[in-house]
Amino acid sequence: MALLELEEVRAGYGPTSVLHGVSLAVPEGQIVSLLGANGAGKTTTLRSITGGVRWTGDIRFDGRSLRRMHTEDVVRLGIAHVPEGRGILTELTVDENLKLGSHLRRDGPAVRKDYDRVFEYFPVLRERRRLSASTLSGGEQQMLALARAFLMKPRLMLLDEPSLGLAPMIVRAIFEIIRTINGADRVAILLVEQNARLALDVSSEAYVLEVGRVAVRGASDELQGNESVRRSYLGY
Amino acid sequence: MQEFLQQVISGVASGGIFASLALALVLIYNAMGLVNFAQGEMAMMATFIAFTLITRGVSYWIAFPVTLAIAFAGGIAIQRIVIRPVERAPLLTLVIITLGLATLLNGLAGAIFGYVPRSFPSPFSVQTVDILGAFFSFRDLGVITVSAAVLLLIYLLLQRTTVGLTMRAAAHHAEASRLLGVRVSWMLALGWGLASAVGAVSGIMVAPIILLEPNMMQTIIIYAFAAAVLGGIESPLGAVIGGLIVGVTVNLAGAYLPFVGGDLQLAVALAIIIGVLVLKPNGLLGRPTVRRV
Amino acid sequence: MRRLRTLPPRYWLVLVVVLFFIGLPTVIDSFLSGEWAQALVLAIAIMGLNILIGYSGQLSLGHGAFMALGAYTSAILAHRYKMDYLLTIPIAGLLTGVIGFLFGVPALRLSALYLALATFALAVVTPSLIKRPAELTGGVQGIVLLPPDPPQFAKDAFAAVTGMPMTTDQWTYYVTLAWALVLFWLAWNLVRHRAGRAMRALRDGEVAASASGVNIAGYKTLAFGISALYAGIAGSLFGLGSGFVSPDTFPVALSIQLLVGTVVGGLASIPGPLLGGIFAYFLPIESNQWIPTQTWIPAQIVSTVGKAGPAVTYGAVLILVMIFAPNGVVGLVTAGYTRLRRRLRGVPDRETGQMPPDHQTA
Repeated sequence: MALLELEEVRAGYGPTSVLHGVSLAVPEGQIVSLLGANGAGKTTTLRSITGGVRWTGDIRFDGRSLRRMHTEDVVRLGIAHVPEGRGILTELTVDENLKLGSHLRRDGPAVRKDYDRVFEYFPVLRERRRLSASTLSGGEQQMLALARAFLMKPRLMLLDEPSLGLAPMIVRAIFEIIRTINGADRVAILLVEQNARLALDVSSEAYVLEVGRVAVRGASDELQGNESVRRSYLGY
Repeated sequence: MQEFLQQVISGVASGGIFASLALALVLIYNAMGLVNFAQGEMAMMATFIAFTLITRGVSYWIAFPVTLAIAFAGGIAIQRIVIRPVERAPLLTLVIITLGLATLLNGLAGAIFGYVPRSFPSPFSVQTVDILGAFFSFRDLGVITVSAAVLLLIYLLLQRTTVGLTMRAAAHHAEASRLLGVRVSWMLALGWGLASAVGAVSGIMVAPIILLEPNMMQTIIIYAFAAAVLGGIESPLGAVIGGLIVGVTVNLAGAYLPFVGGDLQLAVALAIIIGVLVLKPNGLLGRPTVRRV
Repeated sequence: MRRLRTLPPRYWLVLVVVLFFIGLPTVIDSFLSGEWAQALVLAIAIMGLNILIGYSGQLSLGHGAFMALGAYTSAILAHRYKMDYLLTIPIAGLLTGVIGFLFGVPALRLSALYLALATFALAVVTPSLIKRPAELTGGVQGIVLLPPDPPQFAKDAFAAVTGMPMTTDQWTYYVTLAWALVLFWLAWNLVRHRAGRAMRALRDGEVAASASGVNIAGYKTLAFGISALYAGIAGSLFGLGSGFVSPDTFPVALSIQLLVGTVVGGLASIPGPLLGGIFAYFLPIESNQWIPTQTWIPAQIVSTVGKAGPAVTYGAVLILVMIFAPNGVVGLVTAGYTRLRRRLRGVPDRETGQMPPDHQTA
């Protein structure tokens, strides 16, 4: 039984249907990529998991169905979702944003240690702790979002296009940290990315969505090696 | 000069009362983008509850926090019962509902307690103390102290505690907060509870001065509107500053401008409201907002 | 003749209602006629408020102030300048309308919420503003008006129908009714034509309306002016009926009463304000009289209802209507009518668009 299982999930916005039966699984501690063109339904898939959009079918986390659960309750089960746009609370300071990551935790000393690690990964956040989060650049906001998600000590992270709009160097740094978080803390990650190469590099398994359905799935290195798949679905 | 100082201090005391009620308005505005027209009547109800407790022998300084607790619970109840069913309704619907609530509470108070004005006890005597040749009443100083203490407590709650943080997060960024596990709906209820309690302070402070009766907060809420609008409807600090300015201005206008006198002080508040909305709609500390289609 | 037969049922309903109101004073006593006149007064003011809220989307909580302006204008012209009261009515209306129009200019810059706030403040301050210029307005004591005697032609007509002399109350009723008919007809025309459509576009989305070329500022201020005109005439007629104006007859509760009537009757409808006015006027009176006669209601509640007056009922009604029936009575009726028609005529199948087979041909 995988940590996260989606079974024949259909979802949409009002009369428009976006997902037409998506099934996938994220095993414990693994990074799984979700790829595909714009409009394929990647973001909708993530939003279904955390209850941001109505869905039918079944979504199970640790065996437990997420049907009809409110977003905040799904999150409290141990899922951190960094949405498209990063979800930074710009009215608050960097420190307050981070605090909202850890506010549900009761393990004081461990929280403090995690804070140290966060500032180790992202020193710029320590520098700008007291400043409003709106003063951060795009890359810094992505770091903040990741740091905050990490502080939630989730079992599963949903990342929606972490590389979007960022300079290559920053993207590299961020993906390094994604790898570290997964490695050191065994956090499973469902990674939505347009940059297929990056995603396949870091993940063990991948699914390619096309018009709301899974078109291709397989081990990441196999997909990377398969030229026809790369050309037809991944654009390189 | 001394008389001027006395008027100013008196104005600051009124300002504290206006600021408390204005802060309640700002809290709810921040949470929902709604001006709660029932805030004054909610405060009036709480004051009547305090009165009931005190006349049954409960000491003032016990009745005070107990009333605040009851007002807090009442605010939450109102949000859960009346507001939540129509959370997604257009703003005008919500405004009309708060007006309905105000009318309802006013009638209820009239039915239960009658319309005869009653005197409300104050723990501060009306005696004056001589400071530097000017006479300041204990009551004014007491009101200033209590208001300041309450406002400070709210500030600390919102800025220094986790609960306050989650309330602010839920108010400004509902969706993003949900993704962080914040129970946004309950934070909204808490906001209403807090606003109700703060408003109750305003009512309890003003009742000894203007006599307790169901219509007593109808003028105070206008002053509170002026304070909130002047300070910037989204800014808690603005509510405090606005309250002080309105309090002092209205007092000085009543004392020194012959055509204003006692009964047109309210018109001064109206003038402030219209003036601010026409000249600088965001108030002193507010920020311009983007209009969505 | 054929044209008459093909008129939609709505027109017949209107005719019946108009005839009902014309005939009413002949079958009820004079005092009741006076009461119905007051209900019509409210209906006129509510019609004005409806144009503002329902059609142009601006919320005013201060229309009681405009009524006061109209009432006092008429009262001062009649009392101090000895003008014929009937003549003062259109003057009061026009003056109030112009002031409302001017009011509408700064109102443009206010968001809906701030406009509500500012007009609410205006409503609260109105009684003190009236008291101040005491030589003009009579201050706290107000102005007493001599009730006009019905003119000879009216007396004759009334006597011919009922055999009884026409009282002042009945004459007042007919004057009010005449104005109500004119103003409702005007509103109906307004709404049907370009101005009305423009205003409705406003209500549904200002930025979008602006993008489609509607002159927002013009129509919004026009709506304000028109609604103020209606309120002014209503105020003037109010003075005619009650024979007395004072600062205390225009408290903020009046503005709330108008709002209740607008909402209950149904926003953005023509018949709504009529129903709203009847409701707003008669509810407190009837509940006070009817409830004590109901033996199954415990005495506690009866005394509460009596003492609290209309406030509790208004408040509860406002809340319940906005939660359960935001389109008011007219909305409920229209929805029910639509449902009935659908059941009678059949609804097309959602997937295929096919109508269900006709019962007779199956």
